[in-house]
Amino acid sequence: MIYVENLKKEFKKSIKEPGLKGSIKSFFKPDNEIITAVDDISFHVPRGEVLGFIGPNGAGKSTVIKMLTGILTPTSGRCEINGQIPYKNRKNYVKEIGVVFGQRTQLWWDLALRETYTVLKEIYEVDDVQYKKRMAFLNEVLELDSFITSPVRTLSLGQRMRADIAASLLHSPKVLFLDEPTIGLDVVVKDNIRKAIKAINQNENTTVILTTHDLQDVENLCSRIVMIDKGRKVFDGDISELKKKFGQSREMKFVPVDFNVVESLNYAKTFNLSDDDVQVESDGHKVNVRFNSDKVSVEKMLNYTLSEIHVKDISVSDADIEEIIKGIYRSEVEV
Amino acid sequence: MKNIKRALRMHRIFVTQELKRMMEYKGDFIVGIIGFLLGQFFNIMFLWIIFSQIPSLMGWTLNQIVFIYGFSLIPKGLDHLLFDNLWSIGHFTVAKGDFDKYLTRPIDTLFHVMVEKLQIDALGELLMGIALICVTLPQLAIEWGIVKILLALLVIPFATLIYTGIKIATAAIAFWTKRSGNITYMFYMVNDFAKYPSTIYNRGVRAIITYVIPFAFTAFYPANYILTGENPWFNIGLTVLISLIIMVIGICIWNIGIKAYESAGS
Ligand SMILES: Nc1ncnc2c1ncn2[C@@H]1O[C@H](COP(=O)(O)OP(=O)(O)O)[C@@H](O)[C@H]1O
Ligand SMILES: [Mg+2]
Repeated sequence: MIYVENLKKEFKKSIKEPGLKGSIKSFFKPDNEIITAVDDISFHVPRGEVLGFIGPNGAGKSTVIKMLTGILTPTSGRCEINGQIPYKNRKNYVKEIGVVFGQRTQLWWDLALRETYTVLKEIYEVDDVQYKKRMAFLNEVLELDSFITSPVRTLSLGQRMRADIAASLLHSPKVLFLDEPTIGLDVVVKDNIRKAIKAINQNENTTVILTTHDLQDVENLCSRIVMIDKGRKVFDGDISELKKKFGQSREMKFVPVDFNVVESLNYAKTFNLSDDDVQVESDGHKVNVRFNSDKVSVEKMLNYTLSEIHVKDISVSDADIEEIIKGIYRSEVEV
Repeated sequence: MKNIKRALRMHRIFVTQELKRMMEYKGDFIVGIIGFLLGQFFNIMFLWIIFSQIPSLMGWTLNQIVFIYGFSLIPKGLDHLLFDNLWSIGHFTVAKGDFDKYLTRPIDTLFHVMVEKLQIDALGELLMGIALICVTLPQLAIEWGIVKILLALLVIPFATLIYTGIKIATAAIAFWTKRSGNITYMFYMVNDFAKYPSTIYNRGVRAIITYVIPFAFTAFYPANYILTGENPWFNIGLTVLISLIIMVIGICIWNIGIKAYESAGS
């Protein structure tokens, strides 16, 4: 369905010295710095999969999406979707995909929402019968009814995002690309959008690639994760694999009887651990110790803690996926 | 054929939407037109004051000059009315990465951008142009023949495309430089020269507005043919040829530019 091989994208950034002199100099002899936004990324997505693209800000997620949707031409490498190369024969290719960039809208600002769909209907050559059926379905999953007659500029962010997702689905695309579809939304709307994405994927076997910051999105929606950092792929697999691979991380929480004695605990020295393998945080009420259970057993940690101080409450748990990923970013693990 | 039908249909859809949108912003529209008419009024006053001192300028009478001035507003107004959206490409659409959306749609990007908006303010220019032509025409003793009438009508869309082509070419530079609004603007500064008979300028200016940035073909040369009946091959034929060449150049730059488009980081 989607094949990506050694995809790479470089941007030239011209460095301009300040002032008029700098402008003139950079016009005649531009000083270019090359930024490699996407560096040798390969993956393959079978039909019907929901793939989550995650990574910190500036990792290159949007740039990958832009290459897969035919907006950008790759510097090198190739991608093929549905047997088509996006940046060749663009007009034909985009009939089969839907695209949403959460940060900007593709709707016409001044038109009533309903009108923007009638324009898109023409652009994508959706026939009348299909259009009616489709709008009824999209209305149902995205609940557009209450604001479909309002001008787009008056919609709230959550309404606008739902409207944009509906717009991208009007022509029943085989592949849906969503770049940050839940950014800036409140919990209820996020949930609503996740349900809609799930419904589309299940009803129509639409392949979905989404990028996100929100790991809840990933846990709820994605059968698979590709993680990138600084333009490179650092992980590719499902969530349980991610947890297995990086999930030796455990979290011990306790409430001490006397806070002053907490200082006397020194896990790093006692068990000879590096800073990456143990971190202690405290909010003045609870103490939070994250540690690598490959380097020191849960039993030893508990025994040591209980022998040194008195606690009111203590528990040990798996670190959640958010913590795991934060840990990976922090130490920039190469896989 | 199917493509043309589809293009016309798309165009109609966008125009309908634009008219609906405009009905919502009636106030802006009226203010825009009044502002324009005031500006034109002062221009004409200025001409009139000069001509009340001298009876003719390098052989041109006031009526002829006002006719040329009026004629110049027609192609300019048509381009402004129909294809004004091209202005925004070089000013911000490309720089802000908003051009992305055109690339994700299954129609030609240039066509999409050109027909997406109507600039109703341009009706001011068109009305003014028509009014000036109507006022001066009866006093000009022009010899009309069927050929002249046909050529005069034929030349208007081509003169319009000279503006459009220059706008396409200069807007497309933004695909490389991110912004090119200033370049479009620079070219447009020259078009003020085209409102008056080119023969009143020295050779340098005349050569520039004829062969480098050929705005003289949007107004003076076609109007000169209508007034005098002289040189139809140069005045009309070259207008058609130049407008086609500029459009082809514009479309080529646009299509190559799209490949260089880099979107924008967020
Ligand atoms: N159009 C562009 N021009 C120059 N640099 C860009 C452009 N788009 C992205 N970048 C740079 O490429 C890197 C990756 O950006 P992006 O793909 O937007 O990351 P993400 O979506 O993961 O936050 C960043 O360093 C960004 O500054
Ligand atoms: Mg991004």
